[in-house]
Amino acid sequence: MTDISKEAMMPPRSFLSQDAIQLFHRLLAALLICAVLAMLSDSFLSLGNILNVLRQASLTFFIASGLTLVVLTAGLDLSVGANVALSACIAGTVIHKTGSPALGILTGLACGGIVGLLNGVMVTALRIPSFIATYGMLWVLNGLTYWYMAGETLHGFPAGFRQIGSGYLFGLPIPVYLLLVFLGIGTLFAQRTIWGQEIYAIGANPVAARLSGIPVARRLLLVYAVSGTMAGLASIIFLSRLNSAEADIGESLTLPAIAAVLIGGTSLFGGVGTVFGTFIGALILTLVLNGMNLLSVSANWQPLVTGIIVILAVWLDMKTRRRAQ
Amino acid sequence: MKQTMGYLALPLVMAAAFTTQARADGETIAVFTKNQTNPFFQTVRVGADNMAKTLNAKTLQYIPTKPDSIPEQLSQIEDVVVKKPSAIVFTPVDYKAMVPGVEKINEAKIPVVNITDRSAGGKFLSFVGADDYSLGLETARFLLKTLGGKGNIVIIEGVKGSLTNVDRVRGFNDALKENSGAKLLASQPGNYQRLQALQVMENLMQSNAQIDGVLAANDAMAVGAIEALDGANRKAQVIGINGTKEAIDAIKSGKLLASGDYNGFAQGCLGTMMAIRSLRNQPVIAEIVLKPTVITKDNYQPFDVPLEQRTCPTFEDASKLGAK
Amino acid sequence: MREAAVASEPNPLQRIPGVAIVLALLIALFSAIAPGFLSVANLSNVLVQSTILTMLALPMTLIIMTEGLDLSMGAVLTLTSLCVAIVSLATHSMLLGLGAGLLVGAAFGFMNGWLVANVGIPPFVATLGTLGMAQGLSLIVSDGQSVVGIPHSVRDIYSATLLGVPVPIVMALVTYAAFHGLLYHTRFGTYIFALGGNREALRYAGLSPNRLLIAVYAIGGAMAGIAGLLMTARMNSGHPTAGLGLEFDAIAAVAVGGTSFERGNGWLLGTLLGVLSVGVLRNGLNLISMPSSVQVASVGVLVIVALFLDGLRSRA
Repeated sequence: MTDISKEAMMPPRSFLSQDAIQLFHRLLAALLICAVLAMLSDSFLSLGNILNVLRQASLTFFIASGLTLVVLTAGLDLSVGANVALSACIAGTVIHKTGSPALGILTGLACGGIVGLLNGVMVTALRIPSFIATYGMLWVLNGLTYWYMAGETLHGFPAGFRQIGSGYLFGLPIPVYLLLVFLGIGTLFAQRTIWGQEIYAIGANPVAARLSGIPVARRLLLVYAVSGTMAGLASIIFLSRLNSAEADIGESLTLPAIAAVLIGGTSLFGGVGTVFGTFIGALILTLVLNGMNLLSVSANWQPLVTGIIVILAVWLDMKTRRRAQ
Repeated sequence: MKQTMGYLALPLVMAAAFTTQARADGETIAVFTKNQTNPFFQTVRVGADNMAKTLNAKTLQYIPTKPDSIPEQLSQIEDVVVKKPSAIVFTPVDYKAMVPGVEKINEAKIPVVNITDRSAGGKFLSFVGADDYSLGLETARFLLKTLGGKGNIVIIEGVKGSLTNVDRVRGFNDALKENSGAKLLASQPGNYQRLQALQVMENLMQSNAQIDGVLAANDAMAVGAIEALDGANRKAQVIGINGTKEAIDAIKSGKLLASGDYNGFAQGCLGTMMAIRSLRNQPVIAEIVLKPTVITKDNYQPFDVPLEQRTCPTFEDASKLGAK
Repeated sequence: MREAAVASEPNPLQRIPGVAIVLALLIALFSAIAPGFLSVANLSNVLVQSTILTMLALPMTLIIMTEGLDLSMGAVLTLTSLCVAIVSLATHSMLLGLGAGLLVGAAFGFMNGWLVANVGIPPFVATLGTLGMAQGLSLIVSDGQSVVGIPHSVRDIYSATLLGVPVPIVMALVTYAAFHGLLYHTRFGTYIFALGGNREALRYAGLSPNRLLIAVYAIGGAMAGIAGLLMTARMNSGHPTAGLGLEFDAIAAVAVGGTSFERGNGWLLGTLLGVLSVGVLRNGLNLISMPSSVQVASVGVLVIVALFLDGLRSRA
């Protein structure tokens, strides 16, 4: 037990370098997909399309990055998509009512964060397995959103607010800057702060983590709140990019976000994975869809291809991991 | 839009209040729609409520908790048959898969009116709907006329296999065939979803330097495509279908060229009217297919009225609107 | 999946009330306020409506007992339902249709088991991948369209009765009895308990945990095949999205029923009660015409409350 706890507390250098090998492999996979697409479609390698892919990947990444922390603790948050929908609808209403985008953004983030915190309370204080607690939450949030929106659509937001999602700065889309910022913050938080290391430790071995004095419940609350807040952020990006929101926007967001985390090499058993890996995961998923659009592939084939890629990516991950050991 | 009561806190305790309501005077009409998320079905429900109120009857709304869920709507039919409402106004979530459900309603001898999507089987006392094919055709024709009969066109499709999508896209394609100068660049799915349409449009703009027209199978996708065009600083004429509030606003501001009026409000009104009339032994119209109206910047005014303030068409209007 | 918050091991007797109390309360409540709830026709409705979910939730219980999960079940059911429709349409034979559904379902189950046991991919990921594959195949074989015109022999499965009892209920009861016998009265059942709690012991006993795991997942796939037949019979057609999402309903029913996600604690009767709780709740809310948004939320509340009650009891 004590050995495990030590190992979990302080991941040795080799652990990180092994992660680096994993990331390298995954980057290779992404590049391979790029190469194939570039051969098949002339327009794929244009700067415009690369920025396009990055911007599309950003929405999945925001949701998936918070989710990564939850999965690192061996938990799961199935309510992220529903959370995005509710937060977007509430933030949108606030902007309409007050005319203040800043207030709307704060409300969206707060709404997402509170939902995340409630998830955390269910997991820690009520001891409901996260999978079930957040599944229940998903339905509660859907019900709230359906009731609140009553089949209506919110649309038409101030031009300044819409810049967040659709604007450019020095030729780069603004969501891409946000993506880079949160990728940096997420990576630093997970790898270089004590709290981040404690999250890895909790995922690797919760009992050992508790015995070694980590406030497990408080860290878990933090992790779920962060995941919820990131869903809130995604809702703001969604709102400003689409200039509108309705009750069903979250449905198609949850499974891709989970898939991005898993393709990115984060283990559902906790303690293993990186935020950067999740970014690559989101990128791979977006590349596949972008390629299928550029090549005018029939929609019927899209889930099949995505399913195979999820399995292949994780299989590759495990193979290299085993070899490294 | 927002009811003031916080039902959510105590759903079960509140239950009693709703039951007594349902037992009040007048006929009870059970109204089935596909989901709670698409604004179109909200217009259907408001139309049904509006007509029922006018005729001193009551409506009970049945909507699957999972959008467009076939097993759930089948279960709801079974539950409602036990409850025996006076009549049913029915939108099938799938026009073929729901036939056994309709037959259950028939067996229970509850009169039923079919609205929106025409069921592939079962007995109905009336059908009220819009013609998706001619809506698609007319709206696409309007766009092609605006473009002078030529240009590069993309189609953004709805959910594969849904009746509305099949017919609307067929209408789009037939309009394209009439204009030899128009070239179809791509026909890709947006699944009636705003975000998916936006991303499809962004991707298509990468592989096509010049896009002149976008035919979207519903308004949410049309508005998503407009956002994508705006984001890339490109211009194209875009049309949608359904005539939702946001489409009207977009037409007013000149962003959307036109939207085909699917007229859910009238469908809800007339479906409920036929159900109640048949209960009161008044004559009904066996089939009303609303004539396609293309909403443009020249004729949007009558559509720019909040749902709650619209008035249902009368029985005399019904024949003008499209009785066969 | 392992949870960070480690709960103490509950004993079966303490666990019984959680879901049973919820179900009893729901029945009492709706008997009082929902006219027609207690009628034979309505109760028969609730049971028939619950049969498809029962067929998924029972094998899901076994899979969860092995610390696994099968997210592909709803999509596989959709695919098998289409296979039943297509094959019975082509051959005019219900049995050939069922055979095709069983075969495809079992093949997917086998693939799930193989990916989990032999390749070593975590169940959540492996079955998320096969979910996409089954969903894609459903769209491809049907080209996104409903399959109609299937023979009456298929439809009759859903509407026929045996000694006055609807056939789907008979099928669900037989399935329950078979699973009960399998889990509690055969060696295979003992091994399933061991798969979740004590895999090493199996190895010492000279058994291959991998093969057992594959068998458990294959049973799940085959059951999705039988449920696919019921789904096709119910809709009198095949539809490429009919069963999507049902896996989560099944997982929720298992969890509400008191099966633990942590270590081989399965309770089949609890799963059945869990399925019925969801069925009674939906039916009752329909009967009293509860606004639909409240219905959506109440499913979530049910899941959370049932698990909260279980948590309370296990700590007491």
